[in-house]
This record gives sequence, structure tokens and C-alpha cells, in this order.
Amino acid sequence: MASTSKVPVSPHTNLNFSPTQLILTAARIWLSSLNLADTFKHSLELSSPLTSFSQVQEGIYLFNHDIDPYSGGSFRHSPLLLSLFATILPNSKRLASILWALNDLIAAYAMVQIFRARQNIGRSPRDTLVAALYILNPYILLPSLALSTSSIENTLILLSIMFACRKKTSASIFVLAFLGHLSLSSIVMVLPVLLLLIGNPLSSLASPKAIQSNLKRLAPLFGEFGLYFGFLTLASTLICGNWAWVSQTWGATLTLPDLTPTTGLWWYFFTEMFDHFRPFFLMVFNARHSVHLIIYVVPICLKFQYDPLYASFLLLGVLSLFKSYTTLSDPGLFLSMIAVFPEIHSYLRYPIVTALLHLHASLLMPLFDHLWLNQGTGNANFFYASTLVFACANGAALVDCLWAGLRIAIGPPAIDGYAIEQE
Amino acid sequence: MRASRCLIWPLSLLHICLTVIATSYEQFDEDLVLTPLPDGKVSAAFTFTTLLYGAAPRDPHTLNSPDESQHYTLFPLALGQLLREHAVTELHLALNAGNWNYARWGSPPDPAVGTGGELWAWMGTEGPTSIDARWRGLRNSLAGLFCASLGALDAVRTTAPAAAFPPEGALPSWRGAHDNGTTTSGAHEIRHASLPAEHVCTENLTPFLKLLPCKAQSGLAALLNPHRLFGADWHGLGVHVRWVADAGVEVRLSFQGVFDPLRAPGARGKSDWSLHSLFDRTVSRSCPVATTSAIRVALPNSDSYSLVPEPASAAGGVAVYDVHTAAKPLNVALSYPNTFNYPSSYASNSTPFSVKRTLTGTSQAWGRLSVRITNHRSEEMHVLYLETMPWLLQFHLHTLTARVDGVLDDTAISHLTYTPAIAHARPTMLQAVVRLPPRATVQLSMDVAKAFLRYTEHPPDAQRGWDLPPAVLVPVNVSSPLGQTGVRGAGAFVPTGPRVYTSTLLVDLATPDFSMPYNVIIFTCTLVAGIFGTVFNTLTRRWVIVRVKA
Repeated sequence: MASTSKVPVSPHTNLNFSPTQLILTAARIWLSSLNLADTFKHSLELSSPLTSFSQVQEGIYLFNHDIDPYSGGSFRHSPLLLSLFATILPNSKRLASILWALNDLIAAYAMVQIFRARQNIGRSPRDTLVAALYILNPYILLPSLALSTSSIENTLILLSIMFACRKKTSASIFVLAFLGHLSLSSIVMVLPVLLLLIGNPLSSLASPKAIQSNLKRLAPLFGEFGLYFGFLTLASTLICGNWAWVSQTWGATLTLPDLTPTTGLWWYFFTEMFDHFRPFFLMVFNARHSVHLIIYVVPICLKFQYDPLYASFLLLGVLSLFKSYTTLSDPGLFLSMIAVFPEIHSYLRYPIVTALLHLHASLLMPLFDHLWLNQGTGNANFFYASTLVFACANGAALVDCLWAGLRIAIGPPAIDGYAIEQE
Repeated sequence: MRASRCLIWPLSLLHICLTVIATSYEQFDEDLVLTPLPDGKVSAAFTFTTLLYGAAPRDPHTLNSPDESQHYTLFPLALGQLLREHAVTELHLALNAGNWNYARWGSPPDPAVGTGGELWAWMGTEGPTSIDARWRGLRNSLAGLFCASLGALDAVRTTAPAAAFPPEGALPSWRGAHDNGTTTSGAHEIRHASLPAEHVCTENLTPFLKLLPCKAQSGLAALLNPHRLFGADWHGLGVHVRWVADAGVEVRLSFQGVFDPLRAPGARGKSDWSLHSLFDRTVSRSCPVATTSAIRVALPNSDSYSLVPEPASAAGGVAVYDVHTAAKPLNVALSYPNTFNYPSSYASNSTPFSVKRTLTGTSQAWGRLSVRITNHRSEEMHVLYLETMPWLLQFHLHTLTARVDGVLDDTAISHLTYTPAIAHARPTMLQAVVRLPPRATVQLSMDVAKAFLRYTEHPPDAQRGWDLPPAVLVPVNVSSPLGQTGVRGAGAFVPTGPRVYTSTLLVDLATPDFSMPYNVIIFTCTLVAGIFGTVFNTLTRRWVIVRVKA
């Protein structure tokens, strides 16, 4: 599908790396060679039941022994990932660590490209900073060292947005469809990414205006997404030989059969739920892919119709808060993405509070997890409380970014005696 | 003997008159085997066998049509009714308390010694009612009949381990067409479930005794004194129904116990025992309808003991008393002149192999399951290893390793069959053939994940942990070539010895706070509503410039 871009897109990169970037790359690969996967494999914060590498290995083992990995059990990865790991990608932890490091580097590259497209510039000294903010963000680094497949999901999101910024329509939509297969909740990213494809990535936050592009161009893009998604669904079914994978992978994100603690809000909610209310709350909150998460998509895209990249960014924040089976890399992606939008930084109201909340939560979560499950001196409420603080921190970051994104339009701070507020 | 024959023949004749199909007559035999064990304890195994001649299991195709009338004199009607109602071909129920010590006590007289409740049945698969519906009906009926929590043996615990539990009797073929136009292939399937937390007690023994023709009034069943039986070191009852092709339907009710005479008051260090000291009762009357009624005493290896009264026969190291002819009250007593000396070690070859299963790891989220199997024989042997695990413990099969005397050897495991668990719905079944080199120890181990349960799924004593069912090992002859893993055709194994059960395990699962449901719902909903409200407030409200009062 040919797409014409009216906006000047940044000249493409040559692969000349600055010394800092080389050091960064070397450091990341060195970290992966430390083989920390076994140290982190039981950490609840770093990999969820839907993203853990142990489950990938279990699935491959069953697949190679002619046992249908989707006939039950706790293997909930997409058949696409299963077939990739069973054939071309390495199964051993040592090689996989290198793969995850490369994956992070690709994601950082994609983020730098998004940054350049956003600022409409070529190489700049800030590239390294943006890349470092992704690679060295502990929320992203640690799940990646634990070989959580959520790192791969992050890369796919960034690649999809990057392709959308560069108007590579088919590539962007295909990556998005692939992402939707790995993590069904990511479907909420479809609308903003398609809007980005027909719009431009440049910052229009300061000058809100009605959408310029012809919305009718969305229809064929949706069609293309449906086509790729259907094709991948068919491929998955051919890999498995039956449809059991649907309930085992997508069904799990909707019905929460596994109540293993995660950094998200839902595990304790549905652990403690009265049995007769469970279906109702599953419908309200967790089938929130149809109710609660979807609720955010249209309003945010509508409000930020002049800046679809910002809408994508905000929806990543919503996703990291409310999707089921989150790991640290979901909020990590949202937080790192703040670097792509330097124009909002001066309008954030309480970045220190948000940072302190994050510090608080990220110190308490591993501590309380250990106290509850290993030490036996804490109980589930401790860990739940720390995930609540974590949700507060993510909520604060989301709301602050949303506020700042709208506040820019009013201009610089008001003169003395006046304040800019919402009615 | 003469008295029972006198009774049985008129009764059978009555049957012939009552039922037009003039085939069935019934025979009741009872048997008690007393065995002194190497560690000074005494094993007592009661067996009450009722054989219904000429009877055959019900074809499940006939479940919709009225059943033939059931007139039994000796056969337990309550049991017979539910066997017919659910068209059960073969039924085994065992309720045991304690852990059978294979190393000290050798192989048990009845191999079904798994701790807790265990139920398995072979049933025809075809017919108007599905096998799973009949299995559900069967376990609920048995729960009512035996006052046991067998109703808890639901789909979450049910597996189909056909290879480790082959039918003990014959399976009818029922081949051919039926009146209603359907045809039968005679296919049978097994359903198996175990409940390790179940304990056997008086309320199970009372209905058990009611199934006997002489109840506990006379014959050997008079010795079944609950006060003594349930004080034994190990005790368990079993109900086994099978079909013997050229005879009929056989019901074998068994009770096993391991008693400790050294612990009895006044033992003074001697392991003397008598029926009276073991059961606080003697046999004062014989059961008149019993065809045979025998007490067998396995004689100790040493010469210095005395057995009173004089047995009717003593051949092959077994003294036999015929309860019908022996002088009443019959109180068999074995006494030793010397005090009992505990052996410094127990002959390790009393069983061909021994097994020890452990669950390691201190975390409530994961652990490692390890099974050590030691071959005591000097020839290579294959055992079928069967693990039926509730979904609480999820296997990470890719971490399964086998070590032969400490050296990694993946060829020790073969013929792997695996049915993964479904959370809240189905247990895991893992079955593999383990090759045991001569006098070697094979250690299997694998990572397991412990599930996180809903708060309503925890038992009232949640902190105690969950009992996990015993693993089962069966020595087998492997007829198909080794080395193929993932082969699902598990019918190629021929058991060469009795099943061996491991001990049960206790797994410590993470518990939520049971007082928190309202708080958690309120906290989470507040946070979600707060974020939702703020986001939509920010999105929808208009921006204004306001004067700030100085």
C-alpha cells in the first residue's frame, strides 16, 4: 500500500555510532552475558505467567514431544512465538540472553528513530540520551535480563510506531498485528497507530486543531490490519492443528485463570473476589478489553486527533496500568517514552511526586514479594499494598502527562495574579 | 462347613425359583492372615469374598431400559445396586490411614495402600449416559454408602491411568448389535481419583460391616473392633469388585492393619500377641453362611515360639485354623520366650525397589519435586512411574532430569505420557517408564510451580497446606522398543509386580488474607475509578484563565 508523506521525515540513519552508543551497546551485551536469567526467573515483577521464558521452554519441550502445549497447563504464549523459538530462535538461556540484548538495542534504535521523526531532525547528541533512557531504564533492563517476552512486545510496539512515523504502512500494520497476537490487550494501539499513519508524528500539542487527514483513509488500513491479523490467526491454527490456543492465550488475558501475583491491579482483586461476583467483575474490568480499556481509546484519540503520536503514548500509559498480567516493562516503556516528548517536560506538575512514588513502589515490591512468599513473615496484603502504590505512581504519571499535553496549548505560564486551570 | 452348605443350597434353590434365569448362586469366603513383621509389629489382613456366580456387569447400553431384578442373599445389595445403576464393570475403593512402610513390612497383602482415599473404576464407554456422568454418580453414591468425602473426587482430581491400573478381572466384550439399533465395541475406560487428605475411621467401618452377610456378629468380622483397628499404626479398608469371566461378579472386602504388640500394655518387651490382645475380642461363633472361614498365621523364622491352640494344618510356614471346626472361643496366640530385639538393619530386598519422593524449596511460589528410586536387585528393571497431581502443583517438564547414581542420564526415562493440568478443572497426569540399572539409584527431579488459589478455594485450615496424592510405581516389562518419548500408546506395558505407592506430600501454598475481600474490592475500585475520573475530567473540561486572589 503506497502512502505519500507530506511531512518531511528525518533523513535516515547511517549506522555510525558515537563512542557513547558503542559503550552502551557493549554494556548491555556484557550484562546479558552474565546469565542472570536464572537469578531473576522466579521474580513476580519481572515476568508474568504470560511472558515468562520458563513457560516458553516448557511449551517448546511439549511441542517437540508431540504433546499439544495448548491442551492445558500453564503455557500461554502465542503459537507464533512458540514456532519461532522451536525453529529459528535459540532455546538455550545463554543465547536467548544475547537475543534479548539485541532486542533491547533494536527497541532503543526504534525509539531514537521515533524521537528524530518527532523532532524532525537527523542525528543529534540527544540520540544517545534517548537510547540510554530506554536501555538503562531498570523497569526495562531487569525484565529483559529475566528474559520476559514483554521486552519483545515493547520492541514490537516501538517498531510499529517507528514504521508508522516513516509511513511504512504495511510494515507498521503487520508488526501491530503480530503484537496483537502476542498480547491481545495491545489491540488498543491499533487506532492511534493508524491515525499516525495517515497523520504525521510532528508535535502539534501547542496548536490543537481538527484532524486534517481524510478519515476515510482509515478504512483500508483497518482492512489491512484485519487481513494480517486473520492471516496470523490462520497461521497459528495451522501451527497448532486446532483452535485450543485461542482460549489458552487470548482467553487467559480475559478470564484470568492464573492468579499469580503481578505488578498489575487484578491478581489480588480476583483472588479476593466473591465467587458470585466474579463473572460480573471479569466483564467490567477484565473483559475491559471490550469495556474498560476500550473506553480510553476513542476519547484520547479524539482529544489528541492533531497529535496521534501523543495519543499512542498516552494509551501506552493506560495499557501499562490496566492490562492483565503486566510486568515492569509495560510502565517502563511509558516512562522511557517521556523522553520522546521534551516539549511537555516543563509543564509536568508533579514529576518529583511521581518519581518518589515509583521509587517507593519499586523498592517495596521485591521486598514484600520476598517477605510474603519466601520468608513467610509478610502476607499477601503487603505485596498488594505495594502494587497499589505502583498503580498510583503509574496513574500519576499518566494523568500528569495527559494534563501537560493539554496545558501546552494554553501557552507559557500565566502572568502574576492569574492561573491557568480547568473549569 | 456342613452347616453353611445346608444353608446355601436351599437359598440357591430359592433363587432359581425367583429368577427365571436360573444361574446365580452365591458363595461367601472369609480369611484372616496374620503376619509377624521384622520390626515386631503384626500385620492382620481380613478378606471377605462374595462371589455371585453367573452374574455379569451391566452393559451401559441397557441403562435406559429396566434392569433385571436383583435378589441377593449374601452379595451386598447396597453395593450391587449402585454397580448396576452406574454400569460399573470393575470397582476399587481404598481408604487408608498412615504410610505403609515398604522397607520394614515388605509388600502389603492388598497392594492398594496409598494414604487417604483412592477410587478407581473400569466402565464401558458407550451407552446413553456418558462415562463421566456415571463416574460422578458412582463416587457420589459411594460417598453416601461409605460416609466418606468421595464426592470431593471430582473432575479436578480424576485421571485415566490405564497402564498403571490394569483391570484385575476380565472386561466383558458386549459385542454386537442391540435392539435399539446401536452396536457395541465393548470399549472400557478407567477413571481414577485419589484424596490423600481423607482419613478412614469408624463412620466408614460401620457401613463396611453392613455389607457383610454376618455383619460383625459372628465369624472373622467379629474381630473388627473399631477401638483397636483405628488405634493401629497403619490401617485401611478396601472394596474391590471385579468380573471373573467364567465365574461371576466377585466382591472382595478387605481390611488391613499393622498392630504393634510391643506397645500393648503388659508387653514387657516381648512381641507376643493373641487375637484378644490385638482386637480385644475372640472368635466365639463362626459365620454360618461362609463356605470357608480360615485364619492363617505366617510362622516366624525363628524356632523359639509357641502357637496356641494347635493349628489344623501347618505347612509351608503357614499355620491354618478353620474357624468352622475349631474350638470356640478361638483365641490364636503366638508367644516368644525372649524379649524382642529390634534388628539393626532391615533386609533391603524385601521389595524389589524402594522409592522416596520429596518436595524441596522454601518458596511458596515454586519448588522442586524429586523422586529417588533404588533398585535392590542385581538385574536391570523397568518401572512405570505415574504421577497424578492436582493442578495446584504445575510441572515444568522441560526441567525433568534423571540421574543414575548421581550421573545425568536422560535415557533412564522413556515412554513419557503427559496430560497437562487445567487450572480449576483437571489434574496433571505424568507417566513415564524409568529404567533402573542393577543396584543403582535413579533420581528424577523437576521444577514445579505452586498455584495461587482464589480465596474461596482454600480449605478452612489453609495454613496447614495441601496434601498431594502418592505417586505410583509399577514394575513392568516393556515390550516395545525403548527410547521413544511421547508415545501415547501406553498399553504396551505388562506389570510384573504389585503397585508401590510413595508417601503423600504436603505443599505449602501462598494464602491471601481471608478477611480482606471487601477491602480489596474497595481499594482497587477506588483507584481505578480515581484514575478513570481524573483522565476523563482532564480530557473533557475546558481551560480557563482565572484571577488568583492575592
